[in-house]
Amino acid sequence: MNNSLLIVLIASGIAYGTPLLYASLGELLAERSGVLNLGVEGMMLVGAVMGFWTVQRVHTSAGIALTAAILVAALAGAVMASIHAFLVITLRASQIVSGLALTIFAGAAGLSSYLGNDLNLSDAPARHTFHAVFPASMQRWSVIGPIVFGQDILVYVSWACVIAIWLYLSRTRPGLNVRSVGESPAAADTMGINVTSYRYAHTLAGGAFAGVAGASITLAITPQWVNGITGGAGWIAIALVIFAFWRPELCLVGAYFFGALQALAPQLQARHISLGPTVLWTNALPYVMTIVVLVVVSSGTARSRLGAPAALGNAYAREER
Amino acid sequence: MASAVPAVSMVGITKRFPGVIANDQVDFEAASGEVHALLGENGAGKTTLSHILTGLYRADEGTISLHGKPVAFTSPREAIDNGVGMVHQQFRLVSRFTVAENLMLGDRRGAGRHFRIDPGAVDTQVRDLGERYSLGVDPRARIWQLSVGEQQRVEILKALYQEARVLILDEPTAVLTPREADLLFATLRQIAGEGRTVIFISHKLHEVMAVSDRVTVLRAGKALATVQTTDATAQSLATLMVGRDIKPVTREGQARPDSPPVLEVEDLWAEGDRGITAVKGVSLTVRAGEIAAVAGVSGNGQRELAEAITGLRPYTKGSIRVKGKPVRAGDARSAFEAGVGYVPEDRLGTGVAPSLSIAMNLALKSFRNNCRGPFLRLGPMRTNAEHEISTFEIKASGPDQQTDYLSGGNLQKVVIAREFSASPSVLVAGSPTRGLDVSAVEQVHSFLLRAAENGTAVLLISEDLDEILALHDRIFVMYEGGLSEMPPGASVDEIGLRMAGQAAGAPPA
Amino acid sequence: MRFTFERRLRQPGWLSLAVPVASVLFAFFVAGIVLLATGHNPLSTYRQLFDAAFLQTGSLNQTLIVATPLAFTGLAAAAAFRMKLFNIGAEGQMYIGAITGAAAGLYLGGNGGSSAFVIAAMVVMGCLGGTAWALIPGVLRAFCKTNEILTSLLLNYVAGLLLTYLIFQSQSYWRETKGFNASVFPTGKELPPSAVWPGWTIHVQGGITLPLGAGFAVAAAVVLWVLYKRTRFGFEAQVLGDSDRAARYSGVRVRRKILAVMALSGAIAGLGGASQVGDFAHSVDGDPNGLQKLGYGYTGIVIAALARYNPYAVVLVAFLMGGLENAGNTLQGANFPAGLVGVIQGIILFSALGGEVLIRHRVRIVRTKRGVAATEPGPAA
Repeated sequence: MNNSLLIVLIASGIAYGTPLLYASLGELLAERSGVLNLGVEGMMLVGAVMGFWTVQRVHTSAGIALTAAILVAALAGAVMASIHAFLVITLRASQIVSGLALTIFAGAAGLSSYLGNDLNLSDAPARHTFHAVFPASMQRWSVIGPIVFGQDILVYVSWACVIAIWLYLSRTRPGLNVRSVGESPAAADTMGINVTSYRYAHTLAGGAFAGVAGASITLAITPQWVNGITGGAGWIAIALVIFAFWRPELCLVGAYFFGALQALAPQLQARHISLGPTVLWTNALPYVMTIVVLVVVSSGTARSRLGAPAALGNAYAREER
Repeated sequence: MASAVPAVSMVGITKRFPGVIANDQVDFEAASGEVHALLGENGAGKTTLSHILTGLYRADEGTISLHGKPVAFTSPREAIDNGVGMVHQQFRLVSRFTVAENLMLGDRRGAGRHFRIDPGAVDTQVRDLGERYSLGVDPRARIWQLSVGEQQRVEILKALYQEARVLILDEPTAVLTPREADLLFATLRQIAGEGRTVIFISHKLHEVMAVSDRVTVLRAGKALATVQTTDATAQSLATLMVGRDIKPVTREGQARPDSPPVLEVEDLWAEGDRGITAVKGVSLTVRAGEIAAVAGVSGNGQRELAEAITGLRPYTKGSIRVKGKPVRAGDARSAFEAGVGYVPEDRLGTGVAPSLSIAMNLALKSFRNNCRGPFLRLGPMRTNAEHEISTFEIKASGPDQQTDYLSGGNLQKVVIAREFSASPSVLVAGSPTRGLDVSAVEQVHSFLLRAAENGTAVLLISEDLDEILALHDRIFVMYEGGLSEMPPGASVDEIGLRMAGQAAGAPPA
Repeated sequence: MRFTFERRLRQPGWLSLAVPVASVLFAFFVAGIVLLATGHNPLSTYRQLFDAAFLQTGSLNQTLIVATPLAFTGLAAAAAFRMKLFNIGAEGQMYIGAITGAAAGLYLGGNGGSSAFVIAAMVVMGCLGGTAWALIPGVLRAFCKTNEILTSLLLNYVAGLLLTYLIFQSQSYWRETKGFNASVFPTGKELPPSAVWPGWTIHVQGGITLPLGAGFAVAAAVVLWVLYKRTRFGFEAQVLGDSDRAARYSGVRVRRKILAVMALSGAIAGLGGASQVGDFAHSVDGDPNGLQKLGYGYTGIVIAALARYNPYAVVLVAFLMGGLENAGNTLQGANFPAGLVGVIQGIILFSALGGEVLIRHRVRIVRTKRGVAATEPGPAA
């Protein structure tokens, strides 16, 4: 039962979907404050390399090393995001071009690769990795065993994050404020809400989440450092925010769906099942499906408009005439 | 009425923007318990002064004190905390939020103070305030579902909820019917009667005369005088405000049943941006040389009607004919090739491509006829631009200047120059003078009249009743997507009632 | 103290040259700090870099080889970005152009067509391939309002997978199946001699070959400039790039224009792919660590932005960036930090972006009198 393709796909979809979930939650926070950050891929890569470096170089117990790695990854992601924040919030540069610049700066041919090489990280597997939290006996329970109890701590924390962000946005005062900043910065400003600090805070938080997302790849899914290891996950995460109508609970559903698609290729190969004519088809499936879902979502124009923060992508300046 | 210590005192306020001095050594005082009007033409510096008082702008020079205590606001937050609230001309509401959520935004005193928020908690307060000041509105409604008048109520409620002791309203009547404006005045008197200060910004003399206790007149960034309203006359204020005699454009409006019909619209239906039907079965005929003026409160489908006629918005049902030839739905090019000119309401976003040169914007429609094969003829384009800049008295450094550096009036002249030089047979103009200073208004009006004299069928859409009354041959009123014609010689009151959706003669609700 | 940005009433002309130059200098300065922080000597690293890029024997030749595809992708990005169509799919469009261009070369060259005819066919097929691939996001944007940034980017991955698949995972037309080497390591089929693009050799620095593709790139730049500055098409594109609503108001058929610009952008990138095959590789490079690692498409974006979307400047910047990339490739491993070039490019782009603000605005430093709201305790600091 637990070895059936469906159960395995769901369980590994959750695992593979976790980096997507963290990254899309972060992007959601930034976008809800009105800042589009296309640099997710780059921030993830820097988070991935710095998290991995921490685990390799900090010689303590696994628990401390991994905790430190996650914190370092979050910090690294936030530092990357701060460049974007400065350019688009303070200097009011184009959010699209700045985000692309961040991807180039930090991405597979940039800082992450520089650090990976310079710190000699590609020669060994991770010294510590995240493992399933619950005992093996529980993981053997039918259906819920592998799906619910077979996951590592990052998965459970991500569930907490989804609930926390959902509550934050819908039930708290800062949540109300950030939504107003993303919808109508002029209105927020008039009511004495500091648009600049809210945007900075959420863009940086978004970067931290992207950093964690990257580290969750190098420390849980494929515990090693390979240049460009994210393979476009950052872009899928940005698309996920659109699919999710800017709602955290739907980010979770979308992330696991795309996680399952990524898990599909290796699972099918392991079972010698061929889906469609070629291996090309299976490999390209996550990307093609992302495009297909994007088209479906954006065709229902009215609905997607209902989700997007009205001021997304717009710089705000009070004294411009 | 005026107590010893003024509620608001601004001394020597100067504010410069690149290229302009918006406020030049302005002194301004308002007392507790009074409605104080700030009167001046567009561009006189009224809004800038109020933005300084609410902490949105920082003055370059000058001091402010409230109830005798000096203050220097560095943010709107501090102004709110010190009891200064403002209703902006462009509402500062989050349209996807509910009324209650908008009220709680930035709230530091009431229900919005807590980390956990519960928009339901302010429901009763909204209802109480609404009842007390006749500003009823459903606290659970989302802003975009409300009419413009209701949105203004939310803005006033917001200030009252924040316990503002000084309430500033920037041109509040522009979006109201005459009757709604009267109700607003009563509310403002009531608020002032409680010992608060109401600062009422306007450029309309009769409103200022009707509601204020004192008037401060601003002209070209300078405060000229503060007078008791009872000591002033509309004429004396007008002279102060404009600095010269105004010769308002007027004409003898008359229907021209003998002229050939040029624009014929029949049973037209069109949808608004949110997919809700905005134009509902409009029929209208405009004849050559006629100015058909459409009055109505903003948001009743006027913009959608204009866009449907000019091909910017596809219509779902009905027909449009220009000189007998049908215009295809949603095809702007076929509309202007059929002779429809359009001076859009949104001049900076739609009327021009803001960061392109004036020459390009003047050629925005004609460039297709000014080509050799696929190549543009830049020489003639430039010569033509120079010609139009001088004909229409556009103040610019030259045809290569970037268009959005122009002032509002000159920008509008660029649009008008382009549309007029194509000698259109139909001209649709949406709020063509909104936000322009008095001399630009005069010029735009005379351009419109000249177009009508030359036989153009003019469809003038405006929220400004004075403008409508000054220019019309026939008056129409648009309300909730429907268009109806007023009988010749209808009074302002009758038009106002129709704008509020009541048939003339029916008792007010 | 705080900064305010005042809009300049007039933009001084010298700034539009000074800002990009300053951006480059600033980028080298910041990257120098990164180098110092990671224990490298910036001066000697930069010296190595310039030697490898422009000075040492054979370096200019190598730089041209890198600069040629960069000029194409830079022009592709400039053509689209100028209209605020963010086609970041030049990478994938270039792969597809390489595949279709190679197909034409293999097929026609193998059947004994004349060289000029075969090359012309490769150019046309390369353009068509890139256009077709670019029209996917173009059609989706025009008819479904789907964000073209994400779709064009995701298609890069798909095109990369396709490239690998054709050479490594299938017995496709493009794969070499005969010979000893082919059985050891999968490679692309070699173009017949008539399909190889000629070059002109100048005898300095050990011989510099000007590839035919570089000529096409310069021609493409000229065409692009004329198209945007001197034609009806360009007029409409400029209006649409500035304001969507003004464009519809002036009668621009917006959908058609989106399709046309995406097609144009894709064609240029596709031509770059054909040049890649015809000029340099002479076969389809399916290796994930080959063409795909170089990221020409992404660097093209940096080039276009730094050139402020001016086609002539794109060609010039592509040459300089080509030098940088070339140096990065040749020095890799030999005591030279990998990824440094990407870091420098990223910072150049950041500072060029920040510099845009200086072109449009004057920065004023305002000393604030701290708030003395009487009813409130003065804010700390």
